Amino acid sequence: MHHRIDSALMLAIGSVLAASLVNLYGVSSAVGSGLLLRQAIWGIFGMALLWACSLVRATYWERAAPKIYAICLLALVAVLFLGQVRGGTRGWFVLGPVSLQPSEFARLGTMLMVAAFLGKREEDHLDIMAFLIISALVAVPVTLVLLEPDLGVALTFGPILVVAWWLGGLKPRVWVAVALLAVITAGVAWTTFLKPYQKERVLTVLDQDRDPYGAGYQVRQSRIAVGSGGLTGEGIGQGSQSVLRFLPAQQTDFAFAAWAESTGFIGGSALLFAFGVILFRLGVLTEKSQRRSDLSFVTLVFAWLAFQIIVNLGMVMGWLPTTGVTLPLFSYGGSSVISTCATLGIVQSIWRHRFVNQ
Amino acid sequence: MRIRTDPILFRRRSRVVLAIMLGALGLLHFKLAHLQIIQGEKWAQLAENNRLRRIPIPAPRGRIFDRQGGLLADNAPAWQLLVFPDEADDLDRTVDFLTDQGIIEGQALNQRFKARRIGTMAPLVVAENISWEHVARVRAHQSDFPELSIVSGYRRSYPLSAGTAHVVGYLRKMTESESEGLEDFQPDQMIGATGVEALGEDLLQGRYGKRRVIVSAVGRQLGMVEEDGPTPGQDLVVTIDTRIQKAAVEALGDNAGAVVVLDVHSGAVRALYSSPSFDPNIFSSSMSPEQWSEISGDPQHPLQNRCLQGTYPPASTIKPFLALAGLQEGLVDPQWSVYCRGSIKLYGHTFRCWRRGGHGTVNMKRGLEVSCDIYFYLLGQKLGIERMGSWLERFGLGRPTGLGPAQEASGLIGNPEWSRRVRGTPWYAGESVSVSIGQGPVLVTALQMARSFALLANGGHLVQPHLIPQSTPFEPEEVPLEQANLGVVVSGLERVVHGEQGTARGALRNLPIAGKTGTAQVARLPDEDSTAERPHHLQHHAWFVGWGPIEDPEFAVAVLVEHGGGGGSVAAPAAAAIFRAAFRSGRKAVSAGKGE
Repeated sequence: MHHRIDSALMLAIGSVLAASLVNLYGVSSAVGSGLLLRQAIWGIFGMALLWACSLVRATYWERAAPKIYAICLLALVAVLFLGQVRGGTRGWFVLGPVSLQPSEFARLGTMLMVAAFLGKREEDHLDIMAFLIISALVAVPVTLVLLEPDLGVALTFGPILVVAWWLGGLKPRVWVAVALLAVITAGVAWTTFLKPYQKERVLTVLDQDRDPYGAGYQVRQSRIAVGSGGLTGEGIGQGSQSVLRFLPAQQTDFAFAAWAESTGFIGGSALLFAFGVILFRLGVLTEKSQRRSDLSFVTLVFAWLAFQIIVNLGMVMGWLPTTGVTLPLFSYGGSSVISTCATLGIVQSIWRHRFVNQ
Repeated sequence: MRIRTDPILFRRRSRVVLAIMLGALGLLHFKLAHLQIIQGEKWAQLAENNRLRRIPIPAPRGRIFDRQGGLLADNAPAWQLLVFPDEADDLDRTVDFLTDQGIIEGQALNQRFKARRIGTMAPLVVAENISWEHVARVRAHQSDFPELSIVSGYRRSYPLSAGTAHVVGYLRKMTESESEGLEDFQPDQMIGATGVEALGEDLLQGRYGKRRVIVSAVGRQLGMVEEDGPTPGQDLVVTIDTRIQKAAVEALGDNAGAVVVLDVHSGAVRALYSSPSFDPNIFSSSMSPEQWSEISGDPQHPLQNRCLQGTYPPASTIKPFLALAGLQEGLVDPQWSVYCRGSIKLYGHTFRCWRRGGHGTVNMKRGLEVSCDIYFYLLGQKLGIERMGSWLERFGLGRPTGLGPAQEASGLIGNPEWSRRVRGTPWYAGESVSVSIGQGPVLVTALQMARSFALLANGGHLVQPHLIPQSTPFEPEEVPLEQANLGVVVSGLERVVHGEQGTARGALRNLPIAGKTGTAQVARLPDEDSTAERPHHLQHHAWFVGWGPIEDPEFAVAVLVEHGGGGGSVAAPAAAAIFRAAFRSGRKAVSAGKGE
């Protein structure tokens, strides 16, 4: 026997997608109207895919994880040679009107693989071998994504790694070692290979009025947009920051700023509430799932989604540096919508099959 | 034994993750509230004052210098009035304001707003070269019309004005189809329309820079987001010698006509003047419809470049080339002579010599000296139209020289095949007789003539006329000639100037030059007695083409005076003044100057 789909989760996902379309309509005077139709098609296709993924048994996904993971790695290698370059990143397969970004799908493959690995283990703590395996499972796709290079997508693998260590039970002394290593790496990165513009982005977070027409320009314009929305907003398509094209990347990275400018605190809160429902339903599922692999997968999905939302909103509101991390389901982008829907489809599959005697 | 599916431990760990992240999200929600509700007013004020502009920075066009370094085309600073249509509350009000102030004509501007490319943030240039008074008026109303902005730009100026209008050329606005697909296109970009401005366009044109600035709600610049500096165009040194050019302007005076001066060895154009001329400065900024109709409707067609585009019968200036052709073909030798009685009957028609009394016995040198028509009727008969045509073509006549590809007329050398194809009538034998003295269906340009005479001066090299020097010399077309034959023709042409009966003797005998006069009939009148009584528009065109100095040839000069009358009496004196200026300016004067 199996259960019905989690309709509250479905409703929240649909609401975010619908809000994303309204937002694209609002910014169309600045970015063109062609994006709206494409995003609508991706959204419909994504919801259908979500439904289809939920019909497949959860145990099938777990068994198929190694194969899916391997295919994702192959795609990441292939895109380095055959992919199209956009904005300096070689990360897209172009098939006629459709372009796909394998790095978005590789994240799903990695979460499936890591969850399957954690589910197979019976120990309560990670030995050094398991620690290395988990780290390698994440490091390989991240390295390939960094070769494109796509820093924004690579960053979203971070929470997967950390949460996988945590769930597996990393020993406290290893945590200390990892933390030390992270600090040293950050120090070396700062002094050696971080580019000046990247450092500037970090510095502008610390000092908000630093270089308002240079590195701090984007964040400053974003904060002006969000802040000027006030309680009720300026109306869809009426935001001056958006219409006058002050807002950079207002269909992707800074989509939330355009939304907050046009719909105000009320609209912004509503969108946050919809994301909250999605995360809450994932949390409910972790309480109900009976298998480690399911629980691990749902927790990884939760951590990744929450990380992207936090990093994106943090950037839009000036708390975190600009990194190119998009807002899931809300920022324009076919691959992102499709891969997120597929991921949530597997979550729905776990929901439906949660009491099945395996 | 542990139950493999025991999720309790993992669930406990998972809760920690959930709690931390939901907490972070809650904090962000507080931040949202802080920005929007508590600080909302402040940010709204900032948004109100926020205006982003993309301002094009004009690149100065390359200047044009003559070979001695004198300025032929310069850039004068000028105020431009820009409007940023995205920022206007009510464009109609803006247009009304500008019209009331007398700065623009509203009708034209409204059309341009409609035609502009949307979504570029780029401004429109609504007025160029506006006066100080207009600048002040716009500044006074700046806060009412923040979408208006006054910036400094450049306006092309030509110091010699009409004196070099045709050769240096002028500018025009790029058309919409030309700007299609150009990345750095600016809505009001000017490009070379004619002359050196058009020939050297790729070098002269700079690349616009752009600057993105934040401006306040009243149009004041607050800060710069990014700047991409302009790349100035490349300066050009052209082959023109201003001293000779000025002499040409004076020599033609009020007459319509054309002067071309070439370096006989390199083909460098030293002077090129078409009269009447015009002031090219008026094309540098927007021209009023009245100005345009005045200049384009002028019955004298000042915009036409008569040196390249005016085609005229060569008249007697064709004779040296037919003489040379006769010698090369072996049809005549220098001693072959005819007896001129003032007229001759050929193919049942009487053909006259220009001198009614006749020249008596005439050989080749004397035939050239006195320009005896009878001699050349008979020589032409020996050559036949096909051979005449093929030699004239080899000498560079009746075909473009390649100086100004888009603007040059080719001229015409008629023959039976052409007659059937173009006129649809058979070729008359009498026409061949006319062609042999440069009348009838044979038309050349002054530039072609100068080039062909340069060939006589330099020993058979058909040079490539050019205005912009290049590092490797232009390859001339070689015309293989017996130097002895060339010597006969050259000495005949020296006698035109220095011989006892030379047709150009009166005007030129004090100068070391050789050449040929020509008097081209415009129309045949029933009474041929006197040219003086003809109305002006039926008077003959006067030619003189020649080169000098004789010992060491340097310049070839072609002068054509439309309806001027006789070549010897009108064109030759003009040529004398030009030669004098050329010799003064001469090779030695510039040996230390710019290279070719």
